[in-house]
This record gives sequence, C-alpha cells and structure tokens, in this order.
Amino acid sequence: MTNTDTTATAAPKGRGRRHTRLADVDPSATLLDVRDLKVEFRTRYGIARAVNGVSFSVEAGETLAILGESGCGKSVTAQAIMGIVDSPPGFVTGGEVRYRGVDLLKLSRQERRKARADRLAMIFQDALSALNPVFSVGFQLGEVFRFHRGMSRADARKKAIELLDLVNIPAARQRVSDYPHQFSGGMRQRVMIAMALALDPDVLIADEPTTALDVTVQAQIMNLLAELQRDLNMGMILITHDMGVVADVADKISVMYAGKVVERADVHDIYADPAHPYTKALLESIPRVDLKGQQLNVIKGLPPALTDLPRGCNFAPRCRYARDRCREDTPHLYQVTTPGGDGSGRTPRGSACHYWEEVVAQ
Amino acid sequence: MGRYVIRRLLQFIPTVVGAFFLLHYMVSAGIQLRGNPARAFFGERTPSPEMLAAVKRLFNTDDPCLAQEGNPLHPFNPCLGLFVERMGNVAVGDFGTDYRGRLVTDIFLSAAPVTLRLALIAILTEIGIGVLAGVLAGLRSGGFIDYVVKISTVLAIAIPVFVLGRMVQLSIVPFARWLRDNGASDDVMGLVAVTYKLDYPWLSLVIPGIVLGVLGLATTARLTRTSLMENLRADYVRTATAKGMPQRRVIGVHTLRNSLIPVVTNLGYSFGVLLGGAVVTESIFNVPGIGGVVIRSVRFNEGPVVVSMVTILVIVYLVVNLIVDMLYAVLDPRIRYD
Repeated sequence: MTNTDTTATAAPKGRGRRHTRLADVDPSATLLDVRDLKVEFRTRYGIARAVNGVSFSVEAGETLAILGESGCGKSVTAQAIMGIVDSPPGFVTGGEVRYRGVDLLKLSRQERRKARADRLAMIFQDALSALNPVFSVGFQLGEVFRFHRGMSRADARKKAIELLDLVNIPAARQRVSDYPHQFSGGMRQRVMIAMALALDPDVLIADEPTTALDVTVQAQIMNLLAELQRDLNMGMILITHDMGVVADVADKISVMYAGKVVERADVHDIYADPAHPYTKALLESIPRVDLKGQQLNVIKGLPPALTDLPRGCNFAPRCRYARDRCREDTPHLYQVTTPGGDGSGRTPRGSACHYWEEVVAQ
Repeated sequence: MGRYVIRRLLQFIPTVVGAFFLLHYMVSAGIQLRGNPARAFFGERTPSPEMLAAVKRLFNTDDPCLAQEGNPLHPFNPCLGLFVERMGNVAVGDFGTDYRGRLVTDIFLSAAPVTLRLALIAILTEIGIGVLAGVLAGLRSGGFIDYVVKISTVLAIAIPVFVLGRMVQLSIVPFARWLRDNGASDDVMGLVAVTYKLDYPWLSLVIPGIVLGVLGLATTARLTRTSLMENLRADYVRTATAKGMPQRRVIGVHTLRNSLIPVVTNLGYSFGVLLGGAVVTESIFNVPGIGGVVIRSVRFNEGPVVVSMVTILVIVYLVVNLIVDMLYAVLDPRIRYD
C-alpha cells in the first residue's frame, strides 16, 4: 500500500512517458469528465474488476449522485479519480479522468499530488477514522496550507480557524487545538468538510459523508454540504446508497451495479420512471409508511463476485425481467426516452438493459 | 497528570518493599544453606570463636537466624527481624558495606556511570536501528529488506546474549589484530577492544552496547514493522494522501507517529531486559559496571551488596517505566491520566 501517492496506471512502457500538464487546463472544457474508467484489484483469488468501464461527467455547480450498494465500485471510482487507490493491489487499467480537458491519469506523480486538495478534494465516510487521532484538527487543517501554499504555522492556524468558522463549528478559536476524539460525530464530519474545502477545490467528492452519523445530524451535514457547494460553485460527486439523500441534493444520478453504470438520468426522472430493473428494485425496497406491517421488498440474491463476473448482464441472475439474451449479450447503455423524462433534462438518459422499454412501461 | 504521578510513586513503595524482601529472603537462605561467609574468610585455618564472632559482626551476618544448620524444621527462615532492621537502614540511606568495608553507595556511584553509558549506547542502537529497520521492512512487506529483517530478527531473538557476546568477542580479535598490524590509530583500537578500556570510556563500550541492544533492537524492529503495516492501511493515511501531502510526510509524520505508540510502550519492558542483559554483557566484556558488581557479589556471597544493588535497579526500572508511560501520553493525546 506504499504507492498511494499515485495510482499506478498500467501504461505500456513502449509508449513512452508523456505526461499531461495541469497548466494546460481549458476553462471552457467540462469540469470533470470520466470516460470508460477501469480499475482492477489483483488479489491472490484472482483479478477483481471493481470498476468496469464507468463514464460520467460533472459541471461546475452541479451535483452528481453515484448510487449503488456496498461493493459495487462507487468508492473505488472516487479513489481512482483522486488517484488514491491502494496500489498494489489496485490498478487503474484504462479510461480517462479529464479535469477541464486534462487527463489526470497521465499527470506526473508530482502534478497529481498537487492537484489533490487544490483542484479535487474528497470527504470520507467515517470522520473518526479518517482524521489522524494523534494530531490536533488545527494541525491537520493547517498542514494543507503549509504544504500547498507554503504558509507559516501561525498563518496556517489562522486559516484553520477561518475554515472551522465556515463549517459552523462553535468557538473555533478554542477548538482548533482539540483532537478529533474530543469532537462529536457531526462536528468531526464538519472538520472533514473544512479540510476538503481548504484550498477552494473545483471538484468535491463526498464518499457517503453521512453514513456514520445519526439521522438528525445527517440532515445538518447534507444541508451544509449543499449550501457550500452552491456558494463555492463546485462540482460535487456524492456517493451514497441512501436514495432519500439523493432526492434532496442531487441534480443527476448514475446508478452503479457490479462495477458498471446501469442507469443514468436526471434526479426527478429516475424516481418517476426507473428504466433499469435494478433501479426499479432499489426504489421498491425503500420502506414505506403506507405499507407498514407488510414484508419489505428485497432484491433476492447477492451481487456477483467481482473476480468472476457472469457473461452477459451482471444483474441477470437477480433480475425478474431476465431472458436468455441477458445471459449471453452484455447490454450497452441504451438511450432512453420516456413520457416523463424525454430528454428535457440536461443529461441524456441511459439504461443498460435490453428490455428497458418493458421496465418503463410497467 | 500530577496526581497520577503521585499515585504511581506511592505504588512504588509496596513494589520496592516486596522486591527488597524477596532479595533479602534469597540472600538469607543462601547463607542458611551454604554457611556463613565469615567462615570462608579464614580459608583453611580454624578461627577462635571470638574471632569468628567479630568477623560475623563486621560482615553484619551475626544474626542468629542466619545459622539454621541444626534446625531441620526451618531450612528457610525468612529472618524477619533482620529484614526489618535492613529496611530501617535503607530508609535512612544506609545501604551497608561490602566485606572490604566499602560503602555500597560508593560502589554504586563508581559503577553507575559506566552502566549508564552502556545502556545509553544499547538504547540508541535499539531505537535508531530498530525503528529504521522496522520502517524499511514495513514499507515493502514481502520485499527483500523485509525478509532480511524478519530472518535476522528471529536470529537475534533466538541467540542468548552470552552466546552472542562471546561470538562477537571471538570474531573481533583477529580483526583487531589485523587492524593493529596495519597501523590503525589508537581510537580505532579502542573501538575494537574486547574489554573495557579506561582510556576510552565511550569507544570501548560501543561493541558491548550494540551486543546488549541487539535483543531489544529485534523486538523494536518487529513491532515497528507490524505496527507500520497496520497503520498504512488506516483511513487517516488515505486522508493525508488525499490532501496532497508528499509521501514522505504521509509516512514519516502521519503514519509513523501512530506506529510508534506500541513501540514506546515496549521500551519500558525492554529496559528491564536491558538491565538483565547488562549483567551478562558486562561480565563478558569485563565492564566495571553495576552488572559486574552484582555478579561478583553474588559469587562472593556478599549479601548486603546484592540486596542493595538489585533494589536500586528495581527503583531505576520503576522510574523508567513511569517516564515511558508519561511519554506514551505525549504521543497519544487520547491517553489521559486523571
């Protein structure tokens, strides 16, 4: 796990080491454009294809939600974008991560490192374990300024206090020298957010930012994130398995299953007419007050092992629409037009299902 | 913190008294079983009873409970009266004398600096090389350095200090001779000396110090390695990387600080091992330190010296452990002693 610093890109050696440069960013290009990203983990049990050709894009001021159950590759996608996949065993084996036109995967180690925090920042799931227990929060916040901006300790500390103020931590001046364990769960997540926002990044990736928190605090944190995202005009990628959170803050959604995007849509379209059996089943499995006392709908079976993906559609073994074709022929992302969302949204709708029309019709 | 230190210092009292009693008990039993050392003072000659009694008094071994030859029911009488008397003496700072009449405190003061230097060299070896080897092994687990460290530390742990000391001593002699024949300077010769040289109070202790530190070095290296590997997988390491920190800082500051917590905890324990090892190492390399004194006084049955010296070692060990525990709180802010 020593190479966290750069995600090892399995570039063929013969092609030469030509690096892209951050200086070449094109302000008019899409903020973040991920194309056909592939990440695999080479384990002793075989190669696990955690991310298997994922594409999406985010513009400034926009929030994209990546939805999916545990192990579907959403966090790994985020780590690949940040360039912090544990390597070995993880390797980015293909695709592009274009930030304003510049492919981040082809940056030099040094440039890649500088892009972190400065251009792209990330918030992690469990703030207690994501913050270093033996350094004060002021130290951990200030460090960003000291190493990216060359500030003195005293100036960095002032900046840290400003940041804690920004994320509404009361008595920031006193609390700046406290340690992570002295904060409550919600406050710790605020510290994480402050750390991510330190250098005013363009892209913010939030990896299940509220999963470790209790429900009332979840709402506060989501509101804070949404507010800051709007104020700072960042592009945000929100990774979650909570459909309720998505509905509130996201503009568009990519649903992932077994390392692939299975459905892509604007947020209201997907709730109105899901066009992929997996999305549909996910929505049906949300507990509803009016169906109290009845059995919850669950998706039977388990996701396939990433070391041994089935032929054809990955979801076919659990799918009630599945036919022989699904077990032979891998569906690509079909263009979807529905009565509810016929492309009026900004995102072209897509569903990776041969029978999406049938799914929408029901 | 202050209250904690006071509580710990109070806990020293029963520990020291207990250790003191055990030492006293064993030394008394030694006299009861082997006979009064005052008798050995006369060798082949048979002293007059008055003479013998005078020497016994001089050696402070005239307590009747030390003579149990004719008493089959009490082969190990703890001599509580003598114990109380000894405790009282120690409490007022009187640690007694050896059989030549030298004050135990004087013996201690002349031997302590030597042992202190030896221990310092050993600890520096232990921490410096141990942590470095552990970090290098942990960073590339399964790599070449990792295997070298794993195998050599097993060897170091498996070989007892007295074997290692002798081996080093024997293998250094031809090397030292070769150096001398090739006109090495006196300093170099002091370094490769197989015994302690008064002229080189530091240099001639380097090799004994390293020998003494090897065991602790091996444990430190293994502990650092495991701890580092564990912490490298921690979420906060990923956070530090995601913040764009250089890898050097991610490992050297964020990971290492956390990895060293168990290593420091172990230092207190390994200091005890060090004190025990010093006794052996000093006798191998002829170092006139505390260990040498203890060995000699055990050999010559000098009860008061053994009891006092080892009690002082116990106190030193306790104090070092207290310091280590406080250091632990400095490293890990989650530890609070209140």
